[in-house]
Amino acid sequence: MFKKYRKKSPWILHYNAGSCNGCDIEILACLSPKYDLERFGVINTGNPKQSDIFLVTGPVTYRSRERLVELYNQMPNPKVVVAVGSCTCTGGVFRGMYNVEDGIDRYIPVDVYIPGCAASPELIMDGVVKGLEILETKQKVSDDK
Amino acid sequence: MEYLFILLVPIFGGLLYGVERVVKARMQNRIGPPILQPFYDMGKLFDKETFMVNNYHIIFAIMYLLTLWVAVGLMILGDNMLYVIFIHLLASIFFVLSGYSVNSTYSHIGSNRELLSIVAYEPILILIAVGFYIQNGTFSIAMIQQNSPQIFNMFLLFLAFILVVPIKLKKSPFDATEAHQEIVGGIEVEFSGMFYEIVYTAKWIEYIFIYLFLALFGGDSFLFQVILFLFVFMVVNIIDNSTARVKINHLVKITLFFGLSLSIINLVMLGV
Repeated sequence: MFKKYRKKSPWILHYNAGSCNGCDIEILACLSPKYDLERFGVINTGNPKQSDIFLVTGPVTYRSRERLVELYNQMPNPKVVVAVGSCTCTGGVFRGMYNVEDGIDRYIPVDVYIPGCAASPELIMDGVVKGLEILETKQKVSDDK
Repeated sequence: MEYLFILLVPIFGGLLYGVERVVKARMQNRIGPPILQPFYDMGKLFDKETFMVNNYHIIFAIMYLLTLWVAVGLMILGDNMLYVIFIHLLASIFFVLSGYSVNSTYSHIGSNRELLSIVAYEPILILIAVGFYIQNGTFSIAMIQQNSPQIFNMFLLFLAFILVVPIKLKKSPFDATEAHQEIVGGIEVEFSGMFYEIVYTAKWIEYIFIYLFLALFGGDSFLFQVILFLFVFMVVNIIDNSTARVKINHLVKITLFFGLSLSIINLVMLGV
């Protein structure tokens, strides 16, 4: 009954898993007057318990991987994970380094990959809107429970 | 008619909140969300999985919502003004208790700050009630609304009330109790899914409470009440968009120093 509202009010949790801040600045640019993600009902909540879309930037450093999984587990279903930037998708320029895991999909399931170093705001918005379509198909209770 | 209005209070509050988000977006040269956005959020929150931390957390949140609703209801029915203020205080205390009932640091910080902000704004609300008593000889809201507008005699109290509005509506510079980027929402941090909707709805009712309180300054003139509402609504949003957050100790100092001095000067003037 309430399923159609999922698309209309996606709240974002943004986590920096060792990124160089390039992608983070582009995410903030999405929320700024020029691109204005809020017109889709997006709020940058910063609270995993109240968010629907998990925006991750950066290759996963050893320090950040536990927190990444912890944040993912704290988010209630249905949820969508969006990997922003080349590092997050594959490890990017950091691939194969001693202190870095190559991309977040080694730890949590990813729904949308956004390439680019740094990913441009247009691409991020495209990815978030794509994530909304996936959000509608998700189950309220996950299969792995 | 009044009872219907009381039942629909959350809907009016949600609409007001939606309009405010659009107004704020337009001030920042953005398009902004649709006006019905709070209700879309509500639909989505009902659809989410919910995590329950403990029973008291949820019970206190429900008590907060209901008590606040009762306070607004008594206000619409024209009951005693002191009564309304103290029931509203009780609602805030329930909210603080719900923050303390979980084992989260952010929630505890939020509760501490909420208590400090109550210390800051509650004396001013009571002094405003005293001002109305001196003017009208009664605390009854129904009687106050039958007299002519008192804002000219109570202008300093009105200025003190403008200091209270951002604290209650969690707007900068006085939003240290919520502080989304700093303590992730304070008390509301542990609520999820439809339990968060309880707190979210209470926030809308808080809007109605504060603007109904403001309407008392307009007396019996409906036009004057509307002008006051538009003026305060725009001023509060402009200040919200153009200032940074102050620390909680500064919030208490600024509000008590300016608010209390303005109110007491005005009370002395009224007494003479």
